[in-house]
Amino acid sequence: MKMKIIYNVLFVLALFNLLTGCGKDNYDEPESFLVGKVTYNGESLHLRGTGEAIRLQLYQDGYAKHDPISVFVGQDGDFSANLFAGEYKLVTRDGNGPWINKRDTIHVKVKGTTTVEMAVTPYFLISNENITASSTSLNATFTINQIVSTTKIQKAMLILSKTQFADDVNNLFRKDFTNVSSGTVSLSADISGNQSIEKAKALYARVGVQAVGADQAIYSPVIRLR
Amino acid sequence: MMKKYIIAAMAACMLSMSACDGFLDQEPDKIMTDDQIFGDAVMIKSVLANYYGRVTWGQHVADWGGLTVLDEAAYCNGGPDHRSTFEDDRWRVYDYTFIRNVNQFLSGLRATTVLKDSEKAPLEGEARFLRAWCYFNMCRGLGGMPIVGDEIFDYHADMDITAMQYPRSTEAELYDYIIKECQDVYSMLPAEKQINSARANKWTARMLEARAALYAASIANYNSKMVNPIHTEGGEVGIPASKADSYYQIALAAAEDVIKNSPYVLQDRRPDDKGLNFYEAVCVKDNNTEVIWARDYKYPGQTHGFTTQNAPKSHAEDIDNSYLGVVLNLVEDYELINTSTPGQKSLIETTENGTYKFYNSSSEPFKDRDPRLWGTVIYPGASFKGVEVVLQAGQLNRKNGEWVIQTGDLNSKDEHGNLITSQNGPKESNEQYINKTGFYVRKYLDETPSAGTRGRGSEMWMPRFRMAEAYLIAAEAAFELNNGKALEYINAVRNRAGVKLLTTLVFENIAHEKRVEFAFEDHRYWDMKRWRLADKIWNGNSNDSQARHRRLWPYKVVAPGDPNDGKWVFIEDFLFMSPNARYFKMQNYYNFLDLNWINNNPKLVKNPYQ
Repeated sequence: MKMKIIYNVLFVLALFNLLTGCGKDNYDEPESFLVGKVTYNGESLHLRGTGEAIRLQLYQDGYAKHDPISVFVGQDGDFSANLFAGEYKLVTRDGNGPWINKRDTIHVKVKGTTTVEMAVTPYFLISNENITASSTSLNATFTINQIVSTTKIQKAMLILSKTQFADDVNNLFRKDFTNVSSGTVSLSADISGNQSIEKAKALYARVGVQAVGADQAIYSPVIRLR
Repeated sequence: MMKKYIIAAMAACMLSMSACDGFLDQEPDKIMTDDQIFGDAVMIKSVLANYYGRVTWGQHVADWGGLTVLDEAAYCNGGPDHRSTFEDDRWRVYDYTFIRNVNQFLSGLRATTVLKDSEKAPLEGEARFLRAWCYFNMCRGLGGMPIVGDEIFDYHADMDITAMQYPRSTEAELYDYIIKECQDVYSMLPAEKQINSARANKWTARMLEARAALYAASIANYNSKMVNPIHTEGGEVGIPASKADSYYQIALAAAEDVIKNSPYVLQDRRPDDKGLNFYEAVCVKDNNTEVIWARDYKYPGQTHGFTTQNAPKSHAEDIDNSYLGVVLNLVEDYELINTSTPGQKSLIETTENGTYKFYNSSSEPFKDRDPRLWGTVIYPGASFKGVEVVLQAGQLNRKNGEWVIQTGDLNSKDEHGNLITSQNGPKESNEQYINKTGFYVRKYLDETPSAGTRGRGSEMWMPRFRMAEAYLIAAEAAFELNNGKALEYINAVRNRAGVKLLTTLVFENIAHEKRVEFAFEDHRYWDMKRWRLADKIWNGNSNDSQARHRRLWPYKVVAPGDPNDGKWVFIEDFLFMSPNARYFKMQNYYNFLDLNWINNNPKLVKNPYQ
């Protein structure tokens, strides 16, 4: 009988321990937000937003470890990160993105919701895009504005997607054109007999231009065709 | 009652306190002294065996999944494989534990008095060769990494850790180190062939020297030709173009030494069956004259499941089969023997005059190709272990003047008893154990009875260096140096293979020859990287016939009364199992450094794009 009481007491103590065990050594969750845009002359850039293709890096000084926090950029050039309040350094990733690889550091003081603009110099920009599709062909007219005069165009791409995520990898259809120069261009692709395009309930289109030596292309906004 | 517990507790206390006084102070029987090891040939062998067991990296025969990463074969074991991009740590090697162990072996070997100097030399050569091989595997993925020499790092709590933090070497320095080590151990190692080519001899060291020099040369050459060469400020990645020629010369001299002076020759024993000859040269150990160094396997204990997993369903010896399906991309690269454009791929025609092209047999589009196709791939109608492998996706019937395709379940028959779909497939399905591309793999498939069972496994080796590579290294280096000897070397390989000899040579012929000769042998990924072609070939476009896996399915014409009855047609398509194209990004030319390594050693600089 005595033993039983001792066991019961021990059991209650153990249970108590379990319930109160957590608490002391945990941090509160991060509550500050860093939101921002990748821009050129104040305009946000249109990029590849899937596959973690374009990312920025956040560093924080004063800690033993040097791992950057990766910040993924969406296809409209926007990004956000949920952080602890503090001072951070924001930088583009080496060689990543359709812009000049300059890697200037932006110092940001994050507290509450902080907005930041990541200004870059893209090799090219796309404007005045007009994309149409018939059952047999895909036609696009757009202007390629050369921003960096020393670069050349590696390829222009016509892209169709059944979701609003359209880029060089995420697509139903992609055609590359290599002999393209800046200025107004008209491109078309034969899509007759393409079952997956015919069957798609929704259809989105986009054009992209990749500079020679750049790892990513710059895009037009996504246009809904169907 | 209580008393009992107290006594028990006291007894336990006493036992635990008095334990350490003598009877445990024995000589450990699991930790050997250096003299115990080096005084016993069996012990030396077992230490080396441990090292040999730890140096298999990259694509290899015991990892069938790794063979689906490139454009050689596709994953067929279940539903679609959505792979597209390459991981930042794909085939990355960072094994300083291994290097430390080798250095421990070396310091013990040099200090011991139980061996004579003449007995020490070959062992030292072997250990240093393995260390160089480890550095080479590290370098081709990561670029220049710290060279620690013979240093053995021992850490104690109050040590200054910064002395152990070595910065990265440049990419050129690391290749130089590998080349130098290979040259140094060349004279230490035996010249004789080793049992099953499992251990290194001096020709192995020469081959590594040649390959390392060729890799360094082509990075110096082709990286510098890029619009934005990939490099870091300190040269950890990227080699200056000015160094290309001297590396090509080292590669050529080393490869020529193997060709002229080694006991190995291109195995060419079956002039009337070149396909079987090629299979035997790569996959059969007995009397092999071709293979210089291999990862050997032996039953019991050292076997792998390649044959179990990849045998055709009709030839399976266990539950598993048909994991790998070779893709049309590779098959087409094996040229037609009577082609007018030797040294290039020959496409397979499936249509003619607006309708199907009719072939007399299911093997007709393949049997007159480069015999290495037979030795590498099981195509429709080819045999394995002397029994035909039937691949038939369905029938082509004639209904109301139209050609109609009919498919069925595996091993289904029509009302006249004609086969509709073979038990091997190919078939569109998310199930396991069905071929989905129209081709099986033959290279590494073991014909030994019960090698295809789960219980036994296969002893099939994986060649790391073989004679054909010596010739192709010589050909490539000679071509880049433009010294007029390249044709002779590439034609030696083509002559053995049984295809037309080349009369002129362009770079594309060398790239093509490498692909067809060394499919599945862990060459293609590294070749495409060092030639800086990977991002162009694997461009991520799902409509691109090179970047995306393709299939070719055979259908038998069953149309009584029609002149084409009994013939075969083929239908080509993108492979549904691989919905995404291979997408090699610029950042994939070098692996990323793990951030933990940098946290531990802040002197390491990151790779580009990281």
